[in-house]
Amino acid sequence: MRAVSSLRLVVSGFVRSVTLVVLTWFVPALLLVAVVFCFRVADDVVLAWWWVFWLVALILLIFARLVSRATRILVARWTGTEVAPAYRPVVPLTRLTTGYWWNGYGYQRRRWQAAYQRWLRTRVRDPAAWRDMLWIVVAPLSVGIAAALPLALIAFGALAALRLGVVSTPFLAVLSIVVGVALLPAGWRLVEPVAVRLLGPSLVELLSTRVATLVVARGDLTQAQDAELHRIERDLHDGAQARLVAIGLSVGAAERLIDSDPEEAKSLLRQTREASSLALRELRELVRGIVPPVLSERGLVEAVRALALDSPVPTRVGSDLAGRLELPIEAALYFATAELVTNAAKHSGADAVDIRIAPTATGVAVVVADDGRGGADEAAGSGLPGVRDRLAAFDGTLLVESPAGGPTRITLEVPCASS
Amino acid sequence: MRIVVAEDLYLLRDGLVRLLEAYGHRVVAATADGPATLAALIEHRPDVAVVDVRMPPTFSDEGLQAALTARQTVPGLPVLVLSQHVEQLYARELLADGNGGVGYLLKDSVFEADQFMEAVERVAAGGTALDPAVVAKILGGPGGSPLGSLTEREREVISLMAEGLSNAAIARRLFLSEGAIGKYTTSIFAKFEIQADDDSNRRVLAVLAFLGATG
Repeated sequence: MRAVSSLRLVVSGFVRSVTLVVLTWFVPALLLVAVVFCFRVADDVVLAWWWVFWLVALILLIFARLVSRATRILVARWTGTEVAPAYRPVVPLTRLTTGYWWNGYGYQRRRWQAAYQRWLRTRVRDPAAWRDMLWIVVAPLSVGIAAALPLALIAFGALAALRLGVVSTPFLAVLSIVVGVALLPAGWRLVEPVAVRLLGPSLVELLSTRVATLVVARGDLTQAQDAELHRIERDLHDGAQARLVAIGLSVGAAERLIDSDPEEAKSLLRQTREASSLALRELRELVRGIVPPVLSERGLVEAVRALALDSPVPTRVGSDLAGRLELPIEAALYFATAELVTNAAKHSGADAVDIRIAPTATGVAVVVADDGRGGADEAAGSGLPGVRDRLAAFDGTLLVESPAGGPTRITLEVPCASS
Repeated sequence: MRIVVAEDLYLLRDGLVRLLEAYGHRVVAATADGPATLAALIEHRPDVAVVDVRMPPTFSDEGLQAALTARQTVPGLPVLVLSQHVEQLYARELLADGNGGVGYLLKDSVFEADQFMEAVERVAAGGTALDPAVVAKILGGPGGSPLGSLTEREREVISLMAEGLSNAAIARRLFLSEGAIGKYTTSIFAKFEIQADDDSNRRVLAVLAFLGATG
């Protein structure tokens, strides 16, 4: 068994090494041929260099993308690592009412002109295309040599064995072949890290994608905050503030009446007390909507436990989370969890809800699972998009698994440090 | 009665002290933070303590923790906890030791001075006084057994019992005779499988079972 599997490794290593050597050296070899050809044919050095320039450019334009595409496919098949290309999106050719063709770069009178211009520009202007060309230069010297080394050792050993005594000893020949064969399964593997580094998205591209998402998230956050501030301001203005004014007025009235009409004064004071009760209740609701007191007193886990106790569906809470998180993150997770628990109680028909809070490698995850009928749909008026937006502000994610027929399992995750 | 008051806001503390003294009680200590409250509770062993949940130094649940710790040292030390918000979670923690002498009310309840003083006295006597808001939350929870086995009327009775009302008071509230309420409470004790013992202890156990019904 072991012999078979190592034989397979050696054979596949051989095939892959040969493939990589061909793939990486093909274009440089072509370039070399082109250069030699130019100098042979042209009778003037300046003209020869001129030809070389155009030929090299043409070869790179044609082959760079093909080679990198082939490399991506091979890396994915051999190692399972997907190296995602990061080309700029290709704008489809569209004919405008003027009759001209737009290709994302410019207007052309004819369709083929637009197509040609697009072809050229995507290969000349796109940083990812430049990186393809860089690969043409770097790959033969790194991947190509690493893959060629075992092949070269085997070839050298074989040659030495054929012409014993001329170049070498039997020992050296055998050693060379053995080392070459042993290196076969390893030599080609250099292609993976180099391809990831050169053919995947560059740091700049990763960062610009990241910045774009952050800009969107910040926009959403600003809007949410704006709405929240307005709500709080309105609630205070129409609620507690107005009631305090009313209380002040009736206390003043009671003060005036207390000697002349004690009964009326008493009734006014009674009303005042009721008004202050009402104001308190409203303030309490308002505070609960900003940061639930139990959350700031006890932290996320205990607050979720309190939430579970108040839920109409039996709800279990389990946690491996020690310590507190930052309050805004706790609040975001708390409100998101509250929304999910409410959803489960209202729509799922579940008999039990299970909440798990656990630290992850980068932050905290809350899993809300129920045994209900499933089919939770983000589009169909559920609170899920709101939950997602709330979490996005903290770079958090929402994962909904809810097949029709249930069960539903929703995972919230937010990166953060716990204290 | 000898009373300890723990409240960090001066106006409220002062108001509470005045109110309690107006009803002829003696406030032996008035504290404004967690550690001082714990020390006062253990040192004075008051007949009842009125404690705010949130106090310095951390402004989390210092007062509640002080009350719970004191009750570990002095089992059954009557504590009436006041808060701006009520949580089932805290009610359970207070009642968990099963010793009674526990109150948990919203701060607004001091507006109704007579009712508030009744609650204070009930807690001092080893009974319970839960805020109607807590009781409502418990009733809103999952209707598992044994709560589910109660009739509508029995649920009303147990809710008022949890608030701490006596049979006579419950009878007045529900417009029923005291004898009828007695029958309901007996039936509740039976459903909760609470053995005949002295009445106030049974009532505490029934409230505990009422709380436990949700989890």
